[in-house]
Amino acid sequence: MVPITYYLLLAAALFCMGMFGVLVRTNALVVFMCVELMLNAANLTFLAFARMHGDGIGHVSAFFVIAVAAAEAAIGLAIVIAVFRSRGTVNVDDIRTMKH
Amino acid sequence: MDGIIDFFRTAPIPPDVLAPSLWLIIALPLLGAFVCGVFGRMLGRANVNLIACSAVAGAFVLSVLTFWATSDSAGGRVVNFPNPFGLERDVVRYALAHDYGTWFAAGDFRVNFGLLVDHLSGTLLLVITGVGFLIHLYSTSYMEHDEGYARYFAYLNLFVAAMLTLVMADNLVLLFVGWEGVGMASYLLIGFWYTDPAKAWAGRKAFVTNRIGDFAFLIATFLIVLLVGAFNRQADPRDFNAAGTSRERYEQALSERGPVNFKGLEKMAQGLPEGTGGKVSLETPIESGPLEGHTFGGVMTVAMLLFLLGAAGKSAQLPLYVWLPDAMAGPTPVSALIHAATMVTAGVYLFCRMSSLLVLSPTAMATIAIVGALTSLLAALIAFAQDDIKKVLAYSTVSQLGIMFMGVGMGIFWAAALHLVTHAFFKACLFLGAGSVMHGNGDETDIKKLGGLRHEMKWTWGTFLVATFAITGIFPLSGFFSKDAIFHGVEHNHLHGLHWVSEVVYALGLVITACTAFYMSRVYLLTFEGKRSSEARVAHAHESAWHMTLPLVVLAVLSVAAAVYAFPLMPRAGGGMQPVFENFLSPVLRPAETVAKAAETVELDNSTPSLLAYLTAWLVAISGGGLAAYLYLSFFPKRAGQPVGAVARAVRRVAHNKFYVDELYEFIIIRPIKFLSFILFRVVDSLVIDTVFVRGTAWVTARVGSALRYLQSGDAQAYAAVMAVALLGGVAYALIQVLQ
Repeated sequence: MVPITYYLLLAAALFCMGMFGVLVRTNALVVFMCVELMLNAANLTFLAFARMHGDGIGHVSAFFVIAVAAAEAAIGLAIVIAVFRSRGTVNVDDIRTMKH
Repeated sequence: MDGIIDFFRTAPIPPDVLAPSLWLIIALPLLGAFVCGVFGRMLGRANVNLIACSAVAGAFVLSVLTFWATSDSAGGRVVNFPNPFGLERDVVRYALAHDYGTWFAAGDFRVNFGLLVDHLSGTLLLVITGVGFLIHLYSTSYMEHDEGYARYFAYLNLFVAAMLTLVMADNLVLLFVGWEGVGMASYLLIGFWYTDPAKAWAGRKAFVTNRIGDFAFLIATFLIVLLVGAFNRQADPRDFNAAGTSRERYEQALSERGPVNFKGLEKMAQGLPEGTGGKVSLETPIESGPLEGHTFGGVMTVAMLLFLLGAAGKSAQLPLYVWLPDAMAGPTPVSALIHAATMVTAGVYLFCRMSSLLVLSPTAMATIAIVGALTSLLAALIAFAQDDIKKVLAYSTVSQLGIMFMGVGMGIFWAAALHLVTHAFFKACLFLGAGSVMHGNGDETDIKKLGGLRHEMKWTWGTFLVATFAITGIFPLSGFFSKDAIFHGVEHNHLHGLHWVSEVVYALGLVITACTAFYMSRVYLLTFEGKRSSEARVAHAHESAWHMTLPLVVLAVLSVAAAVYAFPLMPRAGGGMQPVFENFLSPVLRPAETVAKAAETVELDNSTPSLLAYLTAWLVAISGGGLAAYLYLSFFPKRAGQPVGAVARAVRRVAHNKFYVDELYEFIIIRPIKFLSFILFRVVDSLVIDTVFVRGTAWVTARVGSALRYLQSGDAQAYAAVMAVALLGGVAYALIQVLQ
């Protein structure tokens, strides 16, 4: 059986990759995918601990995260499409109107 | 004969059926007020008149039935209800009561919505709804040209409802609701013509003056609540035994009915005197609580003096009488109903209701009697030089209320209550007569510009004459007997340790009688006798409509007939005869008598006045009236046009300016308060609150906000980076905590 440490290390690596992507990529769609990556890293952690404890709480949490991620993807993509239609770009560097 | 007696002793509606419906007496005028106030404009004048009058008439019919039921003794069983504070067999006779449950409760404190009608409140119910109905009827004609009729009748009905609450309440807090309700209705009606600044100002003056009294009333109520708590903690079985109850029953009743119930207060008063051999007496110090160290008697005296201040506000006594003469700014029927017949007697009613507590404190009683006598004398002297017919009547009301306070203060409660009733009749008649005079003379109120109305307004003249005789105390009208009963009691009752009070107050009483006769004769003579003044507004006065003369006639008849109450026709328990009204009120006032006897604070005398006393009072009244008749019919008309002596002019000026009391109050109270308010306004309100707190907060927030907005770059990834760094910081902190 694979020790839990490996799962956690994998989850941490996924999370860091996701966060790196969110911070440095300029394409809004890619930023989105990176957010999904971070959410899945969290899911993986939940499941790893669920397996360690042998109960179902982690599974329940993971399902909630999946539901939230689905909703977030739907709304987020709709916002990206709306932004693209009005501004003709999905580059986050070009969308900086919310400033002082 | 037996048939008639049986008829009056059998109530048409049995008491136990009537008692749960007592609330209807209050609800009817309240409903009338609601309908007139909300839908009045829509309904039109005739409908508003009908609704307002029928609401009060309905309340009157119910009051008659209730009053009848309080004397019900069908089948030899006197109407009664079990005294909640007494032992099982202890019943309150000649009374109806119903408890509608808790109004509010907080901890041990509880107030119930309970109504009680005994002979005292029953009599007042009849006066309020009966005189109230007559005045509503009169108003339909008096206000026929006024646009605000709906508002007027709504306020008038509201007043009746509040006054009925006041007299029917079975506890102090519910009484206070009515007390405040009548104050509010009075304020609304004094300032009824609010577009005139002077009238609006008079309304505010009445309101503020009454607030001072109400504040004292509230403090007194709190003291009474604390006193009941202390009594309950400290009393031993002998005290409860003397009060005719036991600790279990008393505590149970306290938890069910609350500490401010009048029946409970009565029991406490019965347990307090020294002769009981119990642990608690008037000299006993209170062991615990906020009143620790003070004696029961001392706290009782303070509470009663505070009640006196409260009653002085409502009943226009020194030092708070100044609002009543200005209250004449309201419509005249309002002056008749509120500021003469009913509301202003609330203070007298309060002391009659609390008579068993009052007799425990001779100091407070002496103060009440002296305050009453001084107020009465001062008001009578001011009335000498007033030329406004309503002002004279207002000061005469203050003076008559002072006489009632003298009676209450000297422990002759039944006579004070009787004078309250007879005064309601003749003073309402006088005020309505004055209103009729004004109505027929183009709203002229200056008696110097009237005169000779005797031939033009026959009904008004006749009724005014009867009422003048009644208030002057001419045999055999009601005012003579009620006033004389008070003075007899004042002379023969003695307060323990304060014997001189009787003599002083009685002497003042005789002076007041002469003064009353003088100024009332003056008003009557100048208005109705002699020639019509050349300065009159209209050439010929016209008599008023039947709506206005009918109430006058009824009230005049009542002012004569009410004398029956003072005739000694009823057998006394210890032999001899006693006045009808004393006998009638004895179920209500007996606890006060027993308490006074046990506590040895007041020696109550029960004798009836001798013929000599009657003759003295009669001669005094006649001499005052005769002097006025000589001066105003013969002396002054002859001297017309001749210069008046300097001293006489100065005396008249001082009396005409009401002894400068208003100016004195202006100088020592109103000015300093205005100055203080000005300082508070400038420093606390304008500077500290407005500038520093309100505008300062806004200024700081705005400055900080405009500095911080430069941090907003609009770059979503920069925000994410900040969040990531913060998260990292959090993780680092958690790691350090775990590792340590």
